[in-house]
Amino acid sequence: MHNSYIDLVANFGIGGAHPGGFSLTQSILEDENIQPRESVLDIGCGTGQTAAFLAQRFKCQVTAVDNHSVMLKKARKRFESSDSSILVIEGDAQSLNLMDNSFDLIIAESVISFTNISKTLNELSRVLKSGGRMILIEMTAEQSLPLEVQNKVCSLYGINEILNEQEWKSKLQQAGFSQIEIIDTPSGLIQTDITDINQSENINMDLYDVWEEHNHFITQNHDYIGFRAFRCQLL
Amino acid sequence: MSQANFYDLCRRYHGRNVRITCRDGRVYRGEITRVTRDMVWIRPFDGLGGYGLGFGGFGFGGFGIGIALGAITGIVLASAFFW
Repeated sequence: MHNSYIDLVANFGIGGAHPGGFSLTQSILEDENIQPRESVLDIGCGTGQTAAFLAQRFKCQVTAVDNHSVMLKKARKRFESSDSSILVIEGDAQSLNLMDNSFDLIIAESVISFTNISKTLNELSRVLKSGGRMILIEMTAEQSLPLEVQNKVCSLYGINEILNEQEWKSKLQQAGFSQIEIIDTPSGLIQTDITDINQSENINMDLYDVWEEHNHFITQNHDYIGFRAFRCQLL
Repeated sequence: MSQANFYDLCRRYHGRNVRITCRDGRVYRGEITRVTRDMVWIRPFDGLGGYGLGFGGFGFGGFGIGIALGAITGIVLASAFFW
């Protein structure tokens, strides 16, 4: 499905394009005690900044999946220039062409919100090993959203439902996850410096408009929508 | 993207902090202070305009550094929030 917000991130090639940015990613992963023999799935890898970090820093076995061709192209390019081997797969988080019980750890950075949430959580639960853990950083409703905000989120980001913290927890439980904890993160929608960028040539001016519209939306609605980082385990 | 597009973008981002990439690979980060048909001026906010070299030895009075629009290959906001 066409999504101009994802096109924006893909064409500008912005790494760390999730709440908290790459610094949050690093601090969470440093606490995770990731071992070289472990297999890690980066679902919705984008241009591959997190996957490259995982492979380089922890020497673990990384699989990076995305469904956007521009993202995948830029991710592959990034991995080429590093000496770590990362398996790159084009795929849909809602229906993965991966074996059951394949991964020790899954990381999803602002990815699941852009899909059918229950479908994706069930799929991630299927490919995660029993006892495996999952980290997600996702858009979260801070209060009930007025209809016009809901409609705007839908048209701007192609997102159909925004869960609150409790709804995330119960969806995770329904998909078989337990020991669900909230990772402490800086509150608020803080801007991060764009340092990791791989811009496509000839970016359509429309995408600059999408960026402006997105900025405007964030300024207007930060009381309604925030984010949470969750850590959970499969029974 | 054409010089006219970059002109429009510079006007749009006037007063905001941007990251400008040039044909020679140099990257400048700073606030856009002035835009003309051929040039954009930025006041660098991290020393001498990112890792661009050759501007040492004098301070940035007035509008800051002038960059020819024809030398630019990309302009984006320097910081942003993304989902």
